[in-house]
Amino acid sequence: MSSHPSTLERPPAFRRIGKSILLTLPILLWSLLMFSRAFFQPRLDLRLASVVVMLFMTALFFLMMRTGTTYRWRRYFFVALGLLFPVGFIADLIAVRGTMSIPIERMVSGDTPFCYMVIPMLVIPAALTRSIIFPGSILPTASNPHSIAIMIGLWLALTLVLGKAWCSYACFFGGIEEGFAAVAKKPKIRRIDPRFRLVPWAILLAIVLLSAALFEPVYCMWLCPFKAVTEYPAVRSVQTAIQMVIFVVLFIGLVIVLPLLTKKRTQCAFFCPFGAFQSLFNKINIFEIRIDREKCIDCAACRNACPTMAISKESVQAGNTLLGCMKCGACVDVCKNHAAVWHVKGTAVGPSSERSRLLFLYGAWAMATMFGGSVLANSVSHLLHFAM
Amino acid sequence: MNLPSISASVWEALALGLATGPICLASCGPVVVPWMLILPNGWRVRSHQLTVFLAARLMGYLLFACVAWWAGSAIPHAWSGRAWAFGCVQLLLAIALLTYAIGWPKTRSCAAESGRRLVQIGVAPQPGRTGAATLGFLTGINLCPPFLVAGVRASQLGSLPAALVFFVLFFAGTAVWFAPFLALGFVQRNPAIATVARIAAALLACYYGFLGASTLIARIIYV
Amino acid sequence: MRKSFTAVLGYFAGGLTLLVAILVPFVLMGFFSNAVARAGLHVDEGYSGGVAARTIARDGYRIVVNQPVKPHLLQRMEPFVQVAWEPASALPAQISEDVDLDGDGRPDVHLTFAVPADAKEPLQVNVASLNDNYQSFAGVENESYSRLVMRTDRGIMVRVPLSRKFSTR
Repeated sequence: MSSHPSTLERPPAFRRIGKSILLTLPILLWSLLMFSRAFFQPRLDLRLASVVVMLFMTALFFLMMRTGTTYRWRRYFFVALGLLFPVGFIADLIAVRGTMSIPIERMVSGDTPFCYMVIPMLVIPAALTRSIIFPGSILPTASNPHSIAIMIGLWLALTLVLGKAWCSYACFFGGIEEGFAAVAKKPKIRRIDPRFRLVPWAILLAIVLLSAALFEPVYCMWLCPFKAVTEYPAVRSVQTAIQMVIFVVLFIGLVIVLPLLTKKRTQCAFFCPFGAFQSLFNKINIFEIRIDREKCIDCAACRNACPTMAISKESVQAGNTLLGCMKCGACVDVCKNHAAVWHVKGTAVGPSSERSRLLFLYGAWAMATMFGGSVLANSVSHLLHFAM
Repeated sequence: MNLPSISASVWEALALGLATGPICLASCGPVVVPWMLILPNGWRVRSHQLTVFLAARLMGYLLFACVAWWAGSAIPHAWSGRAWAFGCVQLLLAIALLTYAIGWPKTRSCAAESGRRLVQIGVAPQPGRTGAATLGFLTGINLCPPFLVAGVRASQLGSLPAALVFFVLFFAGTAVWFAPFLALGFVQRNPAIATVARIAAALLACYYGFLGASTLIARIIYV
Repeated sequence: MRKSFTAVLGYFAGGLTLLVAILVPFVLMGFFSNAVARAGLHVDEGYSGGVAARTIARDGYRIVVNQPVKPHLLQRMEPFVQVAWEPASALPAQISEDVDLDGDGRPDVHLTFAVPADAKEPLQVNVASLNDNYQSFAGVENESYSRLVMRTDRGIMVRVPLSRKFSTR
């Protein structure tokens, strides 16, 4: 049994071409709007990159409409985002700073780009002292456009729309492991203790408490696997050397090796505290995935397909997914009986699944185009710049 | 000491405890929160355990007050002694937390039945008075900053009883801030929350263990 | 009846989410960012170095002395004062001068350093405390937030640690 929907389970022509184009039109217009500013840039590479990304995002949405499936097309975008984000980010760092490492001098100058991973750790210290325990700047500066206010504002706005779907449509790290998870045809490790799902919550609890106790962003300093492919503190002491080793080991283990062996997003499912934090917003988000008990035959295909193990036997019996569901659509696409369905809270489960999917996808894809699309365009423009 | 100065010291100790209470809360939070979440549900159990924890913490305070008095005001600023004490206390705290986090695997535990799983978490010992007392005492003698501030002030008082009274009042001031921890009783206890708390306790034990070990190693290498 | 009512509410909320999505780039992002910017938050002074207290004018350049940063009780860093020589272009090749850090009219530290023409050359700063309120140091082997010598875009910045009697640890 394949653990991921490698083939389209629904008929290839879920919708006629004309209707699919019609449904894609709003996203095409949205993409034009989002990239319109880039079209007037003097740099040719940026203009080209914007056109490429705009077409890419629109084409993927069209395929979602045409085939009626979501996961595979979203995955193309998400993996591209995960793999290309470091390219653009590192290129920008090297252009500004000359290196991927961030020395203490740049930190005290407020030049560290703000990362949303820090947000849960900021809450208690900010509530107690109004201080932000991150070496960035509140307002954007010439040397640091990714300021704290801008990034928190962006995260809040996207979270209102996406909830936990942030982890499938906006996170620029998750795509790396989703890419590695897609490489192997079958998982080498099939049985994973479901209690691993609780580890991100434990890490979240631990880092929030420790950050409040130490007034330091503990996760960024000690545990973030993605420091290995973005920026890291300059190695100038034993402590920073240990930190660097931890970053690299976690990255290789959780983002490369385990996804290859398990075909799961192991970092997201079993480690990422921000993902756990973001799960809380599933409570207030109106969209969800439900299991139609009348159609479900308990075949476990959805459980096997879920890249973050957010469906359990018990949850299937209750007709739900777990709190950690990031609405990637893998379970819906793989379910032959159409028991796993998109759902708007308050409505009946099942009959209006496609309407719920469309409502969700328009918002989610609009956000993906706006945020992920701009990240992609930046990275592609760097690549084009090198190529030209 | 005359009456006005005793009165001033009483208020000073209370005020100091109240003022530094949030810092105590943040400082003890990594130990208290996971431990409270591991506890069985119910106000009575939690308040009883918190009382034992605070009483043991007070014992730690008083022991420190005696030592501080005995050594004059030397201890807070004598780095060599502090480093050893700090390192050892952190290691002990790590061991205590790990004990409650990992527990001892039982032969017929659910994890053991699950066959080829990547990790097995044993059954945690039922938290009792000993656990509360151990953690309370260790956080009591953990040289946290508010504690050191109180230690410096207490060592300037005229007599050992006065220093002890100062610490008791300081403790009373800080203890008020621990009341919110009882609110953790509102968190519905289920196996998932208890497991999360146990894993968090294990992670925090790793941190304290690392801190303690690195402090002691640095002490051995550089002195 | 109740089911159809909740369904209408559900779809209304779904539509509202879509509306919110449309508003994100035009209104909401800016709204939230402004709200965060106006929330009265500040980057922890251990990182930012605190706010400027005084500016001492010198011949062609100025010295900006910040207010002392006294970390929270839980922070491991020592208290310090940040001093900056600005602008970089106007600094003489060699600086050797007394600086009044606390504004009482009496010098507190004597600082000596060369300003290399090449911005990549390391800085060698010697700080000699003139009273027991500050710590002396020459060069920085183990740099920390409270003991730092660095070049910024605007000039040269030095963080002088206060003596241990000000520290709670």
